[in-house]
Amino acid sequence: MPLTLTPDQVAFLHGPLSMNVGAVGRDGWPCVTRAQGIVVARDRRSLTVLLSAVRSQAVLDALAAGNAITLVASRPQTHATLQLKAARAERVPVTVAHRTASAHCVSAFGAELAALGYGDAVADALAAILSSEDLAALRFAPEIVFDQTPGPQAGTVLARAPGVAAP
Amino acid sequence: MKLTLDAIRACLDGAVPAVVATSSPDGTPNVAYASQVHYVDREHVALSFQFFSKTRENVLAHPYAEVQVIEPGSFRHFRLRVQYLRTETAGALFEYMKAQLAGIAAHSGMDKVFVLRGADVYRVHAIECVDTHVAAAAPPPDALLALRRTLDQLGACDDLAQLADRALAALAHGFGIRHALLALLDARAVTAAGTAAGAADCALYTLASLGYSTSGVGAEVALGEGLIGVAARERIAVRINHRTSDTAYQAALRVTDTAAPRIALPVLAQPHSRIAVPLVHGARLFGVLYAESETEAFFSHADEDALVVYGRHLGALLARLAALPDDDASVAAPSGEISPATVPVGTPLSVRYFAHDHSVFIDNDYLIKGVAGCILWTLLNEHAASGRRDFCNRELRRDPRLPLPDFADNLETRLILLQRRLAERCPAIALEKTGRGRFRLLLVRPLQLGG
Repeated sequence: MPLTLTPDQVAFLHGPLSMNVGAVGRDGWPCVTRAQGIVVARDRRSLTVLLSAVRSQAVLDALAAGNAITLVASRPQTHATLQLKAARAERVPVTVAHRTASAHCVSAFGAELAALGYGDAVADALAAILSSEDLAALRFAPEIVFDQTPGPQAGTVLARAPGVAAP
Repeated sequence: MKLTLDAIRACLDGAVPAVVATSSPDGTPNVAYASQVHYVDREHVALSFQFFSKTRENVLAHPYAEVQVIEPGSFRHFRLRVQYLRTETAGALFEYMKAQLAGIAAHSGMDKVFVLRGADVYRVHAIECVDTHVAAAAPPPDALLALRRTLDQLGACDDLAQLADRALAALAHGFGIRHALLALLDARAVTAAGTAAGAADCALYTLASLGYSTSGVGAEVALGEGLIGVAARERIAVRINHRTSDTAYQAALRVTDTAAPRIALPVLAQPHSRIAVPLVHGARLFGVLYAESETEAFFSHADEDALVVYGRHLGALLARLAALPDDDASVAAPSGEISPATVPVGTPLSVRYFAHDHSVFIDNDYLIKGVAGCILWTLLNEHAASGRRDFCNRELRRDPRLPLPDFADNLETRLILLQRRLAERCPAIALEKTGRGRFRLLLVRPLQLGG
């Protein structure tokens, strides 16, 4: 039985976030790519993370091989960070809603960085890098959720699906 | 063309947080933010080790990782395939990262959380530019050209005071630096008890400054403390590109005895960028050049390189000046008229001397202490006893009343400090250079000496 994200966690994952997806390649080398949108399912038991297919070939290849996925999402303004892991992720077709969600996410992230002093050009720079033209969508059911906010408490388990071993 | 670490140094300044992906032995991935990805050399980076994290647990078991860094300005992403090699917990790399982390932590509002436990060194196997279609950020100003302009402006210097002032003025011309100071090492500082201290008690003294409301000449910096002290102790350049509230890295440092009279460093209250560069020649450290700016990320990696070269050039000039003999007959007295003897008039100035730390107070205001204070007291007493006005360095070196070390006495530095402090705080007493290693005591008002 998968875990259910709390409403607060869902609200956080739909906020202005810096997000990255990690996996371990077929050669055993870890790989990471920036993600550009999260859509949490209505039942809060799974989510779809959006990323650029062109920029994320190594991660997509690692996940296609059936390897585990991790998603780290951090709010720049507060540094509040969650890490969600699952044993596998499934690539699903990209929908119009996904493209809309991604564009909104990139725009919100750019506005947050601009407000933090990264400069007015940051939103345009991010839009150029994180276009919604070549999106890939990965759906997974989180099996464990960590508080990854920087500090000695980073790594605290917030939720764990039944049967998932402690890290 | 293969990407090199040298080409992406701008991504390694902590301006935009990096992430590091690792793997546990069972193949579970982990992604964490890295406060610092520090350029070590062409093939190595170092990551700050602050907590016993999953990242650290993973790389100790499975040393392969991928680091994603971002170029400020363009936001181009780069991925580095790296392999963990070792952790350093002391030494130049550790001290540099510790100082820089203080700046990054304050920049990101995490200064209460970030404490460096170690510098984790990784070998870089491959670098990938993720966003090849995005134009690179505009390059920083040409540091080599700035250095050349600085050296052109500096020119030849035959005198320590002139060198100190011109070294700072030239920086403004070459690099656009508006706030800087030069602190020289007192290799064997004199303790409060008047005896020569050990290496641990070495200190630096501000000889000249640029762009501050007060000169701070004579202000003391303990070796190993603050940015200036760390640069001196480790003999490394240290650059912080963000404001830091970490008091350990403020340039204004405490002195050993906080109750003792002191001169404050004239630094900015809230600098956003700072750099301290050691002045070295061969194995000898002469001091530290410190510069700061109210602008974030004012000093680039290339600026650091160029200022390190400048620090070595200044070190060589200081070594040359230190090797010149006193009373060099081939060197003429400075051009311009030497002040004629005057008869002091007016209310006598009260000069008080405290032997335990050689401090001198004029009309109850602190002037100077240490060897420079002792020199002034000796000169004033000599003048009171015999009417002498003209003195030379050579006789001071032989004077048993002065606690000068046998080697590297920095007498010239101490005399310049004394001369400048008098000019600022008590113009009625002046020391005027009359030639190399020679000077004259000028009194405008009579003195009342009290020990």
